[in-house]
Amino acid sequence: MLVGAFALAHTPQLIARPDTEDRDLVLRVHAAFARVKARLAALRPDALAVIAGDHIEAFFLDAVPALAVYVGRECAGTFGPYEYRFPIHESLARAVVEQGIERGFDLLYTQDRRLDYAFFVPLHFTMPEPAPPIVPLHVNVYLPPQPTPRRCYEWGRALGEILGSRPERVALIASGGMSHYPGTDRYASPDFDWDRRVLETLQAGRGSDLAAVTGEELDKTGNIELRTWITLLGAVGDRPADVYCYEPSWHHGNAVVEWRV
Amino acid sequence: MSEDAHYRFPPAAAYRLNRCLFALKSDAAFRQSFQQDAARAMTEAGLGDHEQKLMLARDRDALVAAGAHPYLVFMAELRLRMDRSAFEYF
Repeated sequence: MLVGAFALAHTPQLIARPDTEDRDLVLRVHAAFARVKARLAALRPDALAVIAGDHIEAFFLDAVPALAVYVGRECAGTFGPYEYRFPIHESLARAVVEQGIERGFDLLYTQDRRLDYAFFVPLHFTMPEPAPPIVPLHVNVYLPPQPTPRRCYEWGRALGEILGSRPERVALIASGGMSHYPGTDRYASPDFDWDRRVLETLQAGRGSDLAAVTGEELDKTGNIELRTWITLLGAVGDRPADVYCYEPSWHHGNAVVEWRV
Repeated sequence: MSEDAHYRFPPAAAYRLNRCLFALKSDAAFRQSFQQDAARAMTEAGLGDHEQKLMLARDRDALVAAGAHPYLVFMAELRLRMDRSAFEYF
């Protein structure tokens, strides 16, 4: 069963804390993460299903899946000086792949790919104790053509039904966002206005509106990663979002959001 | 996706260039070999003279115009500069 749903920023500067950052802003995001960690502990999840967009780490141009599921015993990765490793909830991950394919989603699965920092950063801050195993769910966001927002929403709806039919208590986490443009001229000017309109839509309980956004609009507004949120929205449906924080830094719109399920 | 998108389809002609940037980002051994002898590392990675010049000039716009993925250019550059001392100021 689905017991919780969260969207969490994975901005690397939140963990790396270089001197380019506004210390107070970073600490406010950390405080919102701490609230999520306490919520997750109270929800007593048996597993965390984490939807994240690989930053061309596990999947390079030799093979680019739109959607993928990690189904190994464990998964691991590195990011700069950080090394991380998580056990995978193997039976749940396998159920997601098998039932996802039954439902018409041609999922790639892997038992041996590296795990991107997009999975690690939110878990670093919010993993409850005792730490449950995870199910990493990849959505292609950086290598066009990416799955459409509509397809992400439909996959999320199927994912929600699959998780909802399981005996385990599962918390769903979408990692990423909001507006940012790494590697481009717009890196220092994210589209905060667009972010705020999205958050208003989510607070009003109209998450399904995002299924109609186009891939072009996501690219234009620096929100290619919002595909992970849109996937989650398919699973939680039109419930009002509780925005723990929205902190616009010089390069990222950092958001921490919960949907009560 | 339009041609003025921030992230465009990576052309096949730039595959080796992107593979080199990917290795700089994600393969510590390649990064070390690049730092020791960039020309040799890039030659072994299959990059031609023009691509090697673009890489050595670290000209982002020229690399992207040649088909490099902007995120890979960004992270390869960052990883080459990144060390522990650049972390955790607060």
